[in-house]
Amino acid sequence: MLDRVFREEAGRLTASLVRLIGDFDLAEELVSEAMVEALEHWPSQGVPDRPAAWLLTTARRKALDRIRRQARYQEKLALLAALSDEASSRPDDRLSLIFTCCHPALSRDAQIALTLRAVVGLTTQEIARAYLCPEATIAKRILRAKQKIVAANIPYRVPEGPELKTRMDEVLTVIYLVFNEGYLATAGPTPLRRDLVLEAEWLAILVTRLMPEEPEPLGLLALIRLHLARWPARLDTSGRLVLLQDQDRSLWDRRAIGEAIRLIERAAARRHPGRYQVEAAIAAAHCEAPTWADTDWREVVDLYTLLLAIDPSPVVRLNRAIAVSHVDGPAPALAEVDQLAGTLDRYHLFHATRAALLRELGRAGEAAAADGMALELTRNPGERALLEQRLAMSEPTEA
Amino acid sequence: MKYMLLLTRGEWQENGTEDERQRVFGQLMEWFTRQRAESHVVEAAQLQPPGTATTVVIERGRSMLLDRPLLEAKEAIGGYAVLEVDNLDEAIAIARTFPVPDGKVEVRPVVER
Repeated sequence: MLDRVFREEAGRLTASLVRLIGDFDLAEELVSEAMVEALEHWPSQGVPDRPAAWLLTTARRKALDRIRRQARYQEKLALLAALSDEASSRPDDRLSLIFTCCHPALSRDAQIALTLRAVVGLTTQEIARAYLCPEATIAKRILRAKQKIVAANIPYRVPEGPELKTRMDEVLTVIYLVFNEGYLATAGPTPLRRDLVLEAEWLAILVTRLMPEEPEPLGLLALIRLHLARWPARLDTSGRLVLLQDQDRSLWDRRAIGEAIRLIERAAARRHPGRYQVEAAIAAAHCEAPTWADTDWREVVDLYTLLLAIDPSPVVRLNRAIAVSHVDGPAPALAEVDQLAGTLDRYHLFHATRAALLRELGRAGEAAAADGMALELTRNPGERALLEQRLAMSEPTEA
Repeated sequence: MKYMLLLTRGEWQENGTEDERQRVFGQLMEWFTRQRAESHVVEAAQLQPPGTATTVVIERGRSMLLDRPLLEAKEAIGGYAVLEVDNLDEAIAIARTFPVPDGKVEVRPVVER
């Protein structure tokens, strides 16, 4: 309960304070201090009737204390004194905060760390743990970003007009990357990080609520939820990663899948397709198939073709080739995959895909070599276990 | 708020034909005239080629001279401009319109006292 109140209110409160005092550091510190005070008082005295108002009052009192001590914040005094309940619930504050945290003048790493810190309200320590970085690295990254926002005067606003689309892509990319890291960790002891996926889901919900007219946030939210719906089937009882084709589909959350598909339909009604809507539609095609063999591969290929038109990247071409193999067989798929050799040499799934296709074509020796390449290129423990298992099974057939 | 634009010398300037250079300089003159007229640019200058640069190195109170520019040749500074705009977004929007076929523009906020 406390957790939910904190999560919901911390971002909102930080956003209001940043808008008013224009100082990230100060705003965050004040909110953390108010949270600490709440943790000290609420468990013994009970959660107040209006926790948000309580936190706001506490943060405001702390702000006033501090500002009295700091001459350079004199002019903010009047603003803070005027800060009321009404001001704290201005709906666009958190949106400005998100757009500022994901400003294109900040590096991608800085955008992610700052968004998780200021919008989601994770501590530096939690972010460091999630990204397997030393805490000092994350702290320095966030500090540098905040200093740049202030010194370079990155405006605290929701962009308008033609700028909005590119800036929103930036925000959605940050959310997508948080989701992706949780969906399949790049390294570390656990192959999947459900906590990060839930943070990404929360951010996506927030953006869909703040920009209800935009279809792409809905698409991204649907995509995240479809993957969450399949979550229980992604690991076997001994914690090993299970590929989509081998998953026990009775473990999938059918209700959640149905709801996510309705989100995709809501987005599609706006008639502005985008990469997240298409990716969600692909995930939905898999979720709707009763078995791997019954997947509507023709539809999946068509969706990838559409995705390729929006995002002509080699990884999308690779995924499309996999779908092609189920419609036209492994030979034409392998021909497509081999065209990506130069660009995707360092991508483990390029080699793993080649291995699977080569094996289907009876070229076991080449398949084992490709699996070996894939193994060298991934640090995800779940993927490593799968590849090692595949290599062990293929050994006897090798010449 | 003031921002300094540091402008690098692009390929067009280093290795372009005389015709191309003349064409780009024509566009640049027009651009600066317009930016000054709209009071976005408060000061600007083109610099002589990097081969004319001398770098003074000061170490423990003593100074020595280097017969070269500060920065690596591939990012040699060819000029600068000082903007007066409201925020970084406006400065970046102006920098994006800098009319050269290639090159880099560093946007750096100026400390105001």
